[in-house]
Amino acid sequence: MQINPQEYAEASRYESLIKSYPGRPQYILAIMQDLQKQYNYLPRLALTMISSHVGVPVSKIYAMASFYKVFSLTPKGRFVFRVCDGTACHIKGSETLLDQLYQHLGIKAGQTTEDGLFSLETVNCLGACALAPVVVVNGKVYGKVKPGDLEEIIRECGGQCHVS
Amino acid sequence: MSAKIKENNYDQQTVLVCCGTGCTANGGRKVYEAFVEKVKDHPEWEVQPVLKSTGCNGWCEKGPLVRIMPRDITYCSVTPKDVDEIINKTLLEGSLVKRLLYRDPVTKEHLTSHHQTGFYRKQHKVALRNIGEIDPGRIEDYIERGGYQALDLALHKMSGQEVIDAVKASGLRGRGGGGFLTGIKWQSCKDAPGRPKYIICNGDEGDPGAFMDRSIMEGDPHTVIEGMILGAYAVGASQGFIYVRDEYDLAVQYLGKAIEDARSHGYLGPNILNSGFSFDIEIVRGGGAFVCGEETALIASIEGRTGEPKDKYIFPSEKGLWGQPTVINNVETWANVPVIILHGADSFASIGTSGSKGTKVFSLVGKVVNTGLVEVPMGTTLREIIFEIGGGVLKKRKFKAVQTGGPSGGCIPEELLDLPIDFDSLTQAGSMMGSGGLIVMDDHTCMVEVARYYVNFLAGESCGKCTPCREGIRALLEILTRICNGEGRPEDVEMLEEISTTMQEASLCALGRTAPNPVLSTLRYFRDEYLAHIEQHKCPAGVCRNLTTFYIDADACTGCGLCKKQCSVDAIQGEKKEAHVIDESLCIRCGECFRNCAFNAVKIR
Amino acid sequence: MKVKINGQELEAREGETILELCLRHDIPIPHLCYHPAFGGQGACRMCLVELKEPGRANNRLVASCTYPIHSSVEVTTESERIQRLRRNIVMLLARRASQNPWMKELAEQYAAPSLPPVQTEPADCILCGLCIHACEKMGKTAIWSMFRGIEKRIATPYDEAADECMGCAACAQICPTQAIKVEEGAAIRTIWNKRFQLVACRRCGKNFATREQLEYMRESSGYEVDELCDHCRKITLAQSMRQYNR
Repeated sequence: MQINPQEYAEASRYESLIKSYPGRPQYILAIMQDLQKQYNYLPRLALTMISSHVGVPVSKIYAMASFYKVFSLTPKGRFVFRVCDGTACHIKGSETLLDQLYQHLGIKAGQTTEDGLFSLETVNCLGACALAPVVVVNGKVYGKVKPGDLEEIIRECGGQCHVS
Repeated sequence: MSAKIKENNYDQQTVLVCCGTGCTANGGRKVYEAFVEKVKDHPEWEVQPVLKSTGCNGWCEKGPLVRIMPRDITYCSVTPKDVDEIINKTLLEGSLVKRLLYRDPVTKEHLTSHHQTGFYRKQHKVALRNIGEIDPGRIEDYIERGGYQALDLALHKMSGQEVIDAVKASGLRGRGGGGFLTGIKWQSCKDAPGRPKYIICNGDEGDPGAFMDRSIMEGDPHTVIEGMILGAYAVGASQGFIYVRDEYDLAVQYLGKAIEDARSHGYLGPNILNSGFSFDIEIVRGGGAFVCGEETALIASIEGRTGEPKDKYIFPSEKGLWGQPTVINNVETWANVPVIILHGADSFASIGTSGSKGTKVFSLVGKVVNTGLVEVPMGTTLREIIFEIGGGVLKKRKFKAVQTGGPSGGCIPEELLDLPIDFDSLTQAGSMMGSGGLIVMDDHTCMVEVARYYVNFLAGESCGKCTPCREGIRALLEILTRICNGEGRPEDVEMLEEISTTMQEASLCALGRTAPNPVLSTLRYFRDEYLAHIEQHKCPAGVCRNLTTFYIDADACTGCGLCKKQCSVDAIQGEKKEAHVIDESLCIRCGECFRNCAFNAVKIR
Repeated sequence: MKVKINGQELEAREGETILELCLRHDIPIPHLCYHPAFGGQGACRMCLVELKEPGRANNRLVASCTYPIHSSVEVTTESERIQRLRRNIVMLLARRASQNPWMKELAEQYAAPSLPPVQTEPADCILCGLCIHACEKMGKTAIWSMFRGIEKRIATPYDEAADECMGCAACAQICPTQAIKVEEGAAIRTIWNKRFQLVACRRCGKNFATREQLEYMRESSGYEVDELCDHCRKITLAQSMRQYNR
């Protein structure tokens, strides 16, 4: 596997994480999850290193990275707003929340703000249906969210709203 | 103070604080921490109350729940501010904090224990027997309630075949949606040649609106583990995997701790309980793919590939993980196994219907008063669950339909509410029980939009490999979206049905085969709604924005001003106590005013 | 073992698929994603046939390209139900390649109603998957099927030139709709966003392979590779054999 000298430093960062798992395909998912957690996305060089480590072509590694929605191939924002679009949340107004977040932050689901602070995603049912509609920000679960609550949540993250 | 405790003569008081995901989001953990703090300040109490944070009690609507044992007192919607009062009044004085008790909406009585409430009275906990009663992080709690006794019994007094026979006699069927007879599956794996054999727990609960498995994994991880060890012993497997949805952080955490504790107690690992039988379990986290709930896709995922299913002409029980005989069962299925082995197949089979034995856990959500988890005997009717246990439709609105079985299921209308829920009865009505999600919908729900919602969900979740599913979903979504936007055409309904038939017959896996169900069932029971959208360009439920115009009935409006305050585009004008008016040119038809008006004054043109 | 196909009794090999058996006996079953080199994928669903199930009124539909024969089965390859299925599958696929001559002919053959066209990447791709299996078998798996659901498409990682791609164009060759674009200029071939130097045959001068292909052959065989095109290689080999035999 070819690594440019400029990439040595980056590669050494990923090396211990990747090598902490046996070099077998069954650990691809787990390695990627650790990388995603640590770097908030899957760095390209890391995918190439995984390919070498487990003996699976890069195209298939990339296929996994693009198939499983928990992974991001581009860096995510510091605060990720996950709006649950499960059935219960949907009928209790998750779409309105998405609209309101667009008003406040200028981004739609799948996008990140330019300052890299916020990303917006819709996620599948989180299983907290009794508290619909649910929004999770970096692991913190907000239940029974009304459009008016969003401003406060954004401020809590140290952000600013375009429209109050 | 200590004199008072002696007076009351309550031995060990236990305070159980629900810290399942739902209650935690509502502040349950803070309540638990408040108890810990306060109790810490009083080491002089002779009898220190035992504090436990537990998994989900099921009654998410009333959380955070705090229960005091042994008196069996249940307090609802507790906040950290209430903790002082609970300690002083209930723990020390022995009296009740009335305002925190549940008040029956009909009799107006305050009920001491949750067991007396309409929500719990008809329930029968088997899979959920320990949840809410134990600290899921303590194996000792599980053992105290009979945990691992089934394992002890099986390893020392039963053969693997006898374990299978017990499961067969119980009539247990897969709880994940497939409903396959568990005993037959295990037998087929036992009989299949080849070693090693594998056990898999399918914890990829992906149906939106379903959280039964999450609660079990979070609230009673050991029952899943014990079930798996029993299954492994029965078929001769040496390695097990629990495949957990990545989104379920807490479940992964508790399962991990439980596995460690089980190992240190000798329930997992080599030579379990000196029986000569060895077995261990690994956790695999999913990657955010609903399709990985399908057996062959799950297996592909564990093997390190994308979750693309394959034709299942040879079952995993013969050739599964890495081509070896593999048993895959759902979380709830595993949770029932220790009960069957310990208490006998007959006791399990004595509950339920002739074709569906035992109980089933349902997640009752949507426009229903008591949202949460319920476990009832198979054969309980939908009406009982929704109206007696569930307390009826929220805000006393009109019941329209209940969606069962998630994206693979269909909707059941009012006239079929007396159908008993079991594996077979709902399929005739065009739906299925599925994994147990029950989503209650009222008259403010547009059934065409519901169909569109589910198809849209599947558009992102289909693996995309086979033509009928991938292209069929694409076409269904296009048509349904056009209809909801007011661009429906007369030939649309026929095309929806034609494509649906092809998907049902030709798709590679169950995702594709069942994807048309929400479309077909809404067409079956709510065809007039489709026709209203297509022919009259109207959405009777007031949901589809392009087909709805709201106005305020001046006679019904009291001028309370609520709608004006809530309107996010300031489209409503009016003075206090005078009839309000909607400016149709500004109105974005979000429906907030329509849904929230207490006087039903907002209407659809 | 004996199986019945359309009433005709045939001898099947243990474990072979229904499709393989039928192809061996010239019984036609349409298929888009099966290839003798890598077997069936079960992806296109055109090869569905009816299987008689004992004790059931309705026949079961199975993909003949993946269904292994392990017992005496009774199969029907033509019926109204099957014909309707094939028509609808073609209808659903045709929109991905609505202007493609091969696809248009298929749509006509099955009298498939037309649906609004869908833009695919690459254009005209029907996701039969033959290309990725060809690349896996002949090359180094430079391409694979990425993403999922309605967004699924064949691509190299990041849609950029892949290290593994050697420009052999086996993928383009096997593609039924010619969806994979190969540009050949003067001694340069461009495919999957990568430019390749073409090597000329030392005998006839025709460009016959990329440098990377020859390099791969060298690596995997361990032998030096003579820069001869297929035709000239055979002639050279024949000549040397003639000399040897004298």
